[in-house]
Amino acid sequence: MPGTQDRSPTGRSPSDPRQPDPRPPDRRLSGQRRMERRWGLLMALPAILGFVIFTAGPMVASLVFSLTDWQVGGSPSFIGLGNYTELVDDELFWTSLSATTYYTLGAVPLVLIVSFAVAMLLNQKVRGLPIWRTIFYLPTLVPAIANVVLWIWIFNPDFGLLNSLLRQAGLPAGQWIYDEAMAIPSLIVMSTWGFGNTMVIFLAGLQGVPRHLYEAVSIDGGGPWRRFWHVTLPMMTPTIFYNLVVGVVGTFQVFNQAYVMTEGGPNNATLFYVYYLFRMAFKESEMGYASALAWVLFMIIVVITFLLFRNARRWVYYEMAGAR
Amino acid sequence: MKRRDLFRMGGLAALGAAGVSACGSGGGSGAAGSTQLQFMYWGSTFEKAAVEKMLKSFEQKNQDIKVKPVFTPDEYDVKLNSLVAGGNTPDLGYVPMSMSFRLAEQGNLVNLFPYLQKYPQLAGYLPDAYLWYGQDKLHGVATANEIELLWYSKSAIAAAGAATPPAVASSAWSWDQLVENAYKLTVDQNGKHPDESGFDPKQVRQFGISISLTYAAAWYGFLRSNGADFADEAGKKCLLDTPEAIQVFQNLQDLIHKHRVAPGPGQLAATGDDVPGTNILLKTKRVAMVVDGHWSLLDMNESKVDYGIGVLPKYAEPFTTSQVAGASSVFSTTKHVEEAVELFAFHIDPRYVDLYQQGLWMPQEKKYYEDQAAVDSWTKNDGHPPEFRTAVVDYARDHGVPDLRNRVKNLSAISSDVLTPALQELESGKRPAAEVLKEVSPKITGMLQGWQHVQEP
Repeated sequence: MPGTQDRSPTGRSPSDPRQPDPRPPDRRLSGQRRMERRWGLLMALPAILGFVIFTAGPMVASLVFSLTDWQVGGSPSFIGLGNYTELVDDELFWTSLSATTYYTLGAVPLVLIVSFAVAMLLNQKVRGLPIWRTIFYLPTLVPAIANVVLWIWIFNPDFGLLNSLLRQAGLPAGQWIYDEAMAIPSLIVMSTWGFGNTMVIFLAGLQGVPRHLYEAVSIDGGGPWRRFWHVTLPMMTPTIFYNLVVGVVGTFQVFNQAYVMTEGGPNNATLFYVYYLFRMAFKESEMGYASALAWVLFMIIVVITFLLFRNARRWVYYEMAGAR
Repeated sequence: MKRRDLFRMGGLAALGAAGVSACGSGGGSGAAGSTQLQFMYWGSTFEKAAVEKMLKSFEQKNQDIKVKPVFTPDEYDVKLNSLVAGGNTPDLGYVPMSMSFRLAEQGNLVNLFPYLQKYPQLAGYLPDAYLWYGQDKLHGVATANEIELLWYSKSAIAAAGAATPPAVASSAWSWDQLVENAYKLTVDQNGKHPDESGFDPKQVRQFGISISLTYAAAWYGFLRSNGADFADEAGKKCLLDTPEAIQVFQNLQDLIHKHRVAPGPGQLAATGDDVPGTNILLKTKRVAMVVDGHWSLLDMNESKVDYGIGVLPKYAEPFTTSQVAGASSVFSTTKHVEEAVELFAFHIDPRYVDLYQQGLWMPQEKKYYEDQAAVDSWTKNDGHPPEFRTAVVDYARDHGVPDLRNRVKNLSAISSDVLTPALQELESGKRPAAEVLKEVSPKITGMLQGWQHVQEP
C-alpha cells in the first residue's frame, strides 16, 4: 500500500525517552519467556534435528530424486515427471497396489473387530483380569521378525501347526502362503496376532464411557445389546476412528511378511507396495523410480486419510461438541 | 561435480545408511606408512574364516599392506548399493552378478584387462570365467567355477535298491531313468511308493529328487541339453516357449505334481524360501537326490554326510551350468589400484588359498582341469571323493555352459519382474508349462537387451 510509508508507526518509538514503557513488567516476563524459549528449543533440538536430518531432509531429497532417472552408481539425469508416467504402464505397480489394497481391506477391519471384541471381554469383571490382559497383549511384544518366523512354521504345509490341527480334525489341509490364492488371506489371518496395541487403546476408550449412560439405559429397561448399541458403540466411535486411521496408514506400509515370508510370491501374489519399492531401490538400484513410488504411496495415504476424516463427520460422535 | 556430490549425500541420507558411516573408503593409511585395503565378501561362517586366513597370508607376503575384511553375510546387494550411493565402496571384493555389469558400465569398477599381462595366471582362465562389459573391458572374473551336480545319499540308494547315479558324463542317465529311480526312492510315512495305491503325497517321508524350478542354474543345463536355450543368438528373443524348453519345464513340473517324487513349494522350507542345506536334506534323508552346486562339498564333509556325486541326467548332449558364482572385482574408488589388483590376483590363486582343497571353490585356471599334477594339487585329499575326477573336473571342463547371470543382459530385472513369478506358477502346478511359458516369453523378449560381450583374453 502506497500510503503506509507516510504514516508514523503509531508513536510507539522506543527511542523516545519521554514516553514511559507501556508494559514494564511484561518485559521481565518476556525475558523469562525468552530464556524458556531458548532452553525449550535447546531441549527440543535433538528431536528437531532428528526430524530435519533423518525425515524431512530425505523426504525432500527423495522428491528431487523422483524427478530423475537415477540408478545407484550412475549420475542422475532430470526427467521431470517421467517416472510418474512410467508408473502408469508398470504392470507390477498395479499388481502391488492391488495386493496391498486387498490386504488392507482384509486386515484392518479384522483387527478392529477382533481387538474391539477382546477389549470388551477384558473390560468385564472376571477373575485374573491382569493375567488375561497380559496374555492378549503378549504377542505384540514379540519382535516383528520372530513373529514372522513363527508364522512361517505355523503355515508350513507339511509339518506346520495349522495343517496338523486340520488333519487331526479330519479337515483338508491347505498350502497357505505357498498358494497364490491363499497367500493374502493367510497373511490377513496372521495380522490379527498383533492386535495388542489396538486392543489397549480400545480398552482405554471403553473405560472412559460414562457409567451414568449405562445406568440410564438400564433404568429405561435396556439390556446388554441396547447398552452396546446405544451407548458403547457411539461413545467409542472416536476411538474406532483413531484406530482405523492408524491401522490403514500402517497396513498400507506392510513389508515384513513379503520380505521374510514370501519374497512377494508366489507369482507376485504378495508383492506388497513397500516391498516392491524396496526391491526397486535396493535390488534393482532404480533409486529415482523407487522415490517416485514412495511419493505416490505418500499421496495415496494422504488422500485416504483425508477421505476418512471427511467421512468421519457422519459417524464419529464427540460428546463435547467442538472438542475434536 | 558439486551437484553430484549433493545427490550422493542426499542419497546417503535417504537410504538412512547408518552402516555406511564408520567405514572410510579404505583409502586412508593405517599403520605408519602402510597401505590399507578393504575386502568385502559374503559366505558361510566357514568361508568367513577361510577368507580371513587368505587375507592374513596376503598381509604376510606384503608387509606394507593391511587388509580389512568386511564380511557381509546377508543382504549383500542392499549394503553394496548403499555404499555405492554414498561413494564409499571397498577397494575390492565380491560383487553379485546382478549388479556387477551395471556397476562396470557406470565406471564404478576398474577395467582389469590391462593387468592380464602383469598377472599371467589371470590370462589362463577358463574362457567363461571372464566378465566382459565391452571390447577389451574386463570388470572381473567369476570368483570360482561352480557347477551343478546330482548329489545323493548312498544309504538311501542302497536301501531302495535304486541304481547309483552315474559319475561319468557319457553314461549320464536319461530323464526317464532319473524318474524311474526317483520313484523307488520316494516313500510316504507308510512306506508306500508313488506308484502304489494308497500313497499319500501329503505325508512323504523321503522325496526321491529335488530340483529347484526357480533357480536358473539348476535347470539351465537341462535346457541346453535338450537343444533349447534361454534366448536366441542375438539375445533379443526369449526361447522359453520352444517345444524343447517346454518339455524340460513340463518334466520338472511333473516331478512334483504328476510323479510326486519331488517336493512342491514350501514342502522343504524351514523359513520361507530358505530350504535347509543339501547336506541336511541328504543326511536326514528328507530327499535322496538333490541337484545343487559343487560348493555343497564343503558342508557335506563338515557334516559327515554319506554322500555321492553324480552327473546330471541328460536329454541329448550332457550339460551342466558352470560359473555359478558371483563376480570378484576391484572398485574404482580405490586409491591403491596396484595393491588392490595384487590382492585380486592373490585371492583366487589356488597356490595361496586353501578354499579349493577344502571343497568350497573350483579353480578358474585351465591348468587345474588339464594338467595331472595341477588337478591333483586340489583334488587329491580326503575332502574329494574318488568320483570327483570324472563327475566334477572332467564334467566341468567338457560339459559346462555358463550361468545365465553372467551372460544375459538385464537378467536381474527380468528375473524379479517376470521370470521368477512365472516359475513359481509352474512350481505350483496350477497350469501346464506350455501355457505359462507361452505367456511369459513375449514379456521376457520385451526386456531382453542381448548377451553380454565375450572375447579371448
